[in-house]
Amino acid sequence: MNNIPEATSQDEVIIVAEHLCKTFPGPVMAVDDFSIRVRRGEVLVVIGPSGSGKSTVLRCLNGLETIDSGRIVIDGIPLDNNEKNRLAIRRKVGMVFQSFNLFPHLSVLDNINLAQCLVRGKSKAEATAVTRALLEKVGVGEKIKNFPDELSGGQQQRVAIARALALHPEVMLFDEATSALDPEMIGEVLDVMRALAEDGMTMVVVTHEMGFAREVSDRVVFMEAGRMIEEAKTEDFFLRPVQERTREFLRQIR
Amino acid sequence: MRSSAFSFATIRDLICFGLTGFGLVWLVLRGAEQMGYNWHWRQVPRYLFTFSEGVFIPGPLLKGLVVTVEITLVSLVLAAAIGLATVLLRLSGSFIGRWLARIYLESIRNTPLLVQIFFLYFVMAPILDLGRTTTAILALSLFEGAYASEIMRAGIQSIGRGQWEGCYSLGLSRFQSYRRVILPQALRRILPALTSQAVSLIKDSALVSTIAVYDLTMEGRTIVADTFLTFEIWFVVAAIYLALTLTLSALANGLERRFPRIA
Repeated sequence: MNNIPEATSQDEVIIVAEHLCKTFPGPVMAVDDFSIRVRRGEVLVVIGPSGSGKSTVLRCLNGLETIDSGRIVIDGIPLDNNEKNRLAIRRKVGMVFQSFNLFPHLSVLDNINLAQCLVRGKSKAEATAVTRALLEKVGVGEKIKNFPDELSGGQQQRVAIARALALHPEVMLFDEATSALDPEMIGEVLDVMRALAEDGMTMVVVTHEMGFAREVSDRVVFMEAGRMIEEAKTEDFFLRPVQERTREFLRQIR
Repeated sequence: MRSSAFSFATIRDLICFGLTGFGLVWLVLRGAEQMGYNWHWRQVPRYLFTFSEGVFIPGPLLKGLVVTVEITLVSLVLAAAIGLATVLLRLSGSFIGRWLARIYLESIRNTPLLVQIFFLYFVMAPILDLGRTTTAILALSLFEGAYASEIMRAGIQSIGRGQWEGCYSLGLSRFQSYRRVILPQALRRILPALTSQAVSLIKDSALVSTIAVYDLTMEGRTIVADTFLTFEIWFVVAAIYLALTLTLSALANGLERRFPRIA
C-alpha cells in the first residue's frame, strides 16, 4: 500500500480509506481507486471540477453511499455491512450538507435536541443546555425558537453545523457547505468553520472556496473523474503543484 | 381589501348555493306530486327517537347510526395501522416484505369491495368463526387500508432524500428517522387525502348492510320495507350520513389548522 498518502505527522490516524471504488448505475465510475488517510486534528480540503467524485468520497466516509470495493476505517471502527458499526461511525462523524437538510417541522431547538436525546440518550434539559451554548457559539442564539424557514441561508447552515456539533463528533465532513448560499452569507459560515478548525476539529471539506482552502487547510487533495490527481500540503499544493492538470485547474479558477 | 373581496365572494356563493338548493327541493316536490307520492314526514321522527314518560328511547335509525359509527371508527384505526404497516413493508429492504405488500395491495385494489365482503363473510368467516360485525370491520379495514397505504407512500416519497440523509448523518436509525422526521412531515402533507379516504370509509360502510349488519343503511331498508316511507327515510338516512362526513371533515380541518407548518 505504498501509494496511499500518509498523514503528515506522527499523530493518530483517524480516517483510513483504501482503494475506494464506487460505480453509479449508468455505469459511471464515480470513485476510482481512491485512498486517503487523515490524522486527528487535520483539516483536509478536497477540490476538483464538478462531477469529479469529491462529494461521493465524502458521503462514503459516513456510509451515506456504499462502496463497491475498498475499505474504510474511522477511529478504529470498520465501516462495513454491520449496522451497529455504521451507526457508531455516524455518531462519531458529523456532516454538513450543501442544502442544510434541517428538519422543517421542528424548531431550531428541536432540530439540535433531537439526535442528542435519541442518539446520546440525553435528557431534554441537558440537550437544551448544549444547544443554547452551541447556538451562541455559531452566532444564532436568538433564533432558538424559530423554525428553519424563518432563517436566512447562512443562519440555517450555521444551525446545521451546530446540530452536527451537538453530538461531539470526532470528525466533521463539509459537503460544499457554502455553495447554496448567497455571496454575502458565505463569510459567516466560513468563519464558523475556521473557528472549528482552530479548535482542533478533524475536518474533511469539499469546497470551491480556494481562499478558505489556502488559509485553513493542512492538506489539499485534487480529484478528477473519480481519481486522486494530486495530494499535497496546502502550501506546496498552491505554490508548487506537480501535475499539469492541477496547474490548469488552479489557473482556471483564479 | 382582501377581506371585503372575500365577503363578497362568500355572499355570492351563498346566494348561488341557496338558489340551487331551492331548485332541487322544488324539483323533488314537483316530481313526487306528479307521481302521486304522499309525504308522511310526521311519521319519521319516531324512527329516530321517542320519549316514553320523559325517557329518551333511541329509534332504529339512531341505533343504526351508532353501529355505523362504531364500525367506522374501529375500521379507521385498523385501516390506518394496516396502511402504515403495508407502506413500511413496501418501502422496506426486505424482498419478501415488498412482495407481500404488493400482493395485498393489488388484490384489494382490483376487486370490488362488495365481493370482498361476500368473500370474507361466506368463505373466511365460517372458517375463522368470525361474527358479522367483525367480518364487516375486517373487510372495511382491509379495503381502506390498501388505499391509505398508497396515500402514505405518496407522502413518504414526497419527502426529499436530504431529510433521510440529515437523519442518517446524525446517527438516527431507520425507525427513529421515520418516527421523528419523515412521518410527521408526510402526515401533514397527506392529511387532506387521508380525510377523503376516511369519508369514503364512512360511505363504503353502507355496503356491510348486505351481510345483515344492522347499520344505518340496513335500518333504513327495514323501515322502508315495513312502512313504504321510501322518500322520507332515504332523505333522512342521506342527511345523517352527510352530517357524519361533514363532522369528520370539520375535525380534519381543525387538525390541519393546528399544524400550519407544511414543509
